Amino acid sequence: MISKNTPDLDYSRLARAGRKLVTKGSNQNARIAILSDAATQQFVPLLKALFHDNGVNAEIYEGAFDAIEMETFDRSSGLYQFQPGVVVLANCAQALRSRYYQHGGAGFPEAATERMLRIWDALGRHCAACVVQCNYPLPYERQFGNYDLKVAHSLYASVAAINMNIAQCVRERANVLVCDVEGIASYAGRKNWYDDRLWNMTKAFCQLDHLPQVAQALVEMTLPTMGRVVKCVVLDLDNTLWGGVVGDDGPLGISIGAHGDGEAFFHFQHYLLSLKRRGILLAVCSKNDHENAVRPFVENPEMVLKRQDITMFVVNWENKADNIRKIRDTLEIGLDSMVFLDDNPFERNLVRQFLPDVIVPEMPEDPADYVRAISELNLFETSSFSAEDLARSELYKQEAGRREVQSTYSNIDEYLRSLEMQIEVARFHKAKIPRIAQLIQRSNQFNLTTHRYNEGDCEKMMLDTEGCVPLYASLRDRFGDHGLISIVILRIKPDVLEIGDWLMSCRVLARGVEHFLMTRVVELAREKGLTRITGEYIPTAKNAMVKDFFAQFGFEKTAEQDGASKWHLDPAPYQARTIYITEGD
Amino acid sequence: MDRQTLRQRMNAIFQDIFDDPSLQVSDDMTAADVEGWDSLSHINLIVAVEKAFKIKLTTAEVRSLNNVGDFISLVERKAA
Repeated sequence: MISKNTPDLDYSRLARAGRKLVTKGSNQNARIAILSDAATQQFVPLLKALFHDNGVNAEIYEGAFDAIEMETFDRSSGLYQFQPGVVVLANCAQALRSRYYQHGGAGFPEAATERMLRIWDALGRHCAACVVQCNYPLPYERQFGNYDLKVAHSLYASVAAINMNIAQCVRERANVLVCDVEGIASYAGRKNWYDDRLWNMTKAFCQLDHLPQVAQALVEMTLPTMGRVVKCVVLDLDNTLWGGVVGDDGPLGISIGAHGDGEAFFHFQHYLLSLKRRGILLAVCSKNDHENAVRPFVENPEMVLKRQDITMFVVNWENKADNIRKIRDTLEIGLDSMVFLDDNPFERNLVRQFLPDVIVPEMPEDPADYVRAISELNLFETSSFSAEDLARSELYKQEAGRREVQSTYSNIDEYLRSLEMQIEVARFHKAKIPRIAQLIQRSNQFNLTTHRYNEGDCEKMMLDTEGCVPLYASLRDRFGDHGLISIVILRIKPDVLEIGDWLMSCRVLARGVEHFLMTRVVELAREKGLTRITGEYIPTAKNAMVKDFFAQFGFEKTAEQDGASKWHLDPAPYQARTIYITEGD
Repeated sequence: MDRQTLRQRMNAIFQDIFDDPSLQVSDDMTAADVEGWDSLSHINLIVAVEKAFKIKLTTAEVRSLNNVGDFISLVERKAA
């Protein structure tokens, strides 16, 4: 029986009523057990009062906090002694989220589902109660933005998958029902989203006030295809990454940890770690003594972020704008691909003033809101994701190792020889297409023509074996593997070999990769009996570094207009440079 | 709110929606009299008026409007 009138769901009234409730004679009784990994003390009085409103006396058993397994697996537990008619498994999204972060991601939905089924099975063995399983509100934090759904192991996609698993599993079990908490949570938004009057009048798919957000999402999804992506998060330490001041409180005295004061920072660090795992670099820029600043990462066991998660520490007492420039120079990424997070408004304003290209979000006053505030800005939207993203942080650390070695050699040739570089050059093939398309979308500086081809375009070139020679190059050396770092797309025309595109990751500048590849291009022209190699430079805001690319190889300029230039070369007399790269297998 | 004040506030919304600061509404004005008053700006106008006066108009009410005078009377009634 449901009460006929619109129920009064005011929280304060129900909380008051629930506390004062005196059991009256009623012909209907319910025995309900609530097991949860969240607190139930606010919830249970409301439940009692609402049952009362509906003429039912509810006796409620509250399981201990976060003891669902203990209660359900132990036959002699308080739960079974209570002899419940209904057992509510009130799992919460926050507990699921921290299990997800500890788990690491891949295979998480399967593990969480198995765990849930073991609990259902135990309940079925030990009592005859009806089981009500709560599903999970989708999380607000996103590691990729809209791309989250394309990555099966992202938090967002994992929670969605678990909800789908719950629905599928309850269909096969008569005694288990699902309480659609996700539905309740998202309806809080959906009820403001839909407007059937507008639909009837004009076929608008949502309230006009929300249309800009959909348009904004499409803009945010498109910008990465044009090379606009965030690559690095630059972090302050004291009161940003942990609570307190490490110089005063010491590496063990700062606030960080799974419970209590440090929980907000614990969650924030988990979020940052998930960004690092998806290929965003983390750098530290802090006014501190270097040694003090690094100690929590090494010594404090509650720290989620460890020293090796940070690609670069710049810790000194100089101004942060200069220090961010230092990070940019070392990592060789654009200022507009950096986000600076600092709780101190003075530092934020200083960076905004001196480095207007750096993204500097406002930080909320309460650290508990850090993740939500950063996630809402959808800064980490992407249009591609590959194995190289996962390894990127490692790549940059290897680079730091190379730089150290470089300083011990007296001349560059000696250094380059010592790297023992090996290159692999091949036509595009299927397995490499995602990374190829990604490099094409992300390379801004060393990019002669900046055509942004997508995966489909790349496959077409791959299949055009007559007219097109699309090449990629991967490089490794004794410090590690750079992965796929350069693309050269050649087209065969009558008598002419045309260089349509040439781009390279700035991580491997000044190694001789372009010289190696140009030698290959010239050899190809000679093999095919082509008498001319042509190329083009199209200027953008970012690619001035390759303005004289063709000139250095002896090409002659044949045309120039608005900064763009066309070039040609006779392959016959071309002299190959000294190169310290050998072709690997 | 008297009809004169209401008319002034609605006039300001009309000027904003049709991007014409010189626009002056009158009771017998219809969509045919205003440059750019098409089905799209009509909905924008309705939504803007609803928001400004914190009211909700039903589909039937919107359909029943014949001229600006009807619209002002409707808003006057709903916002009362």
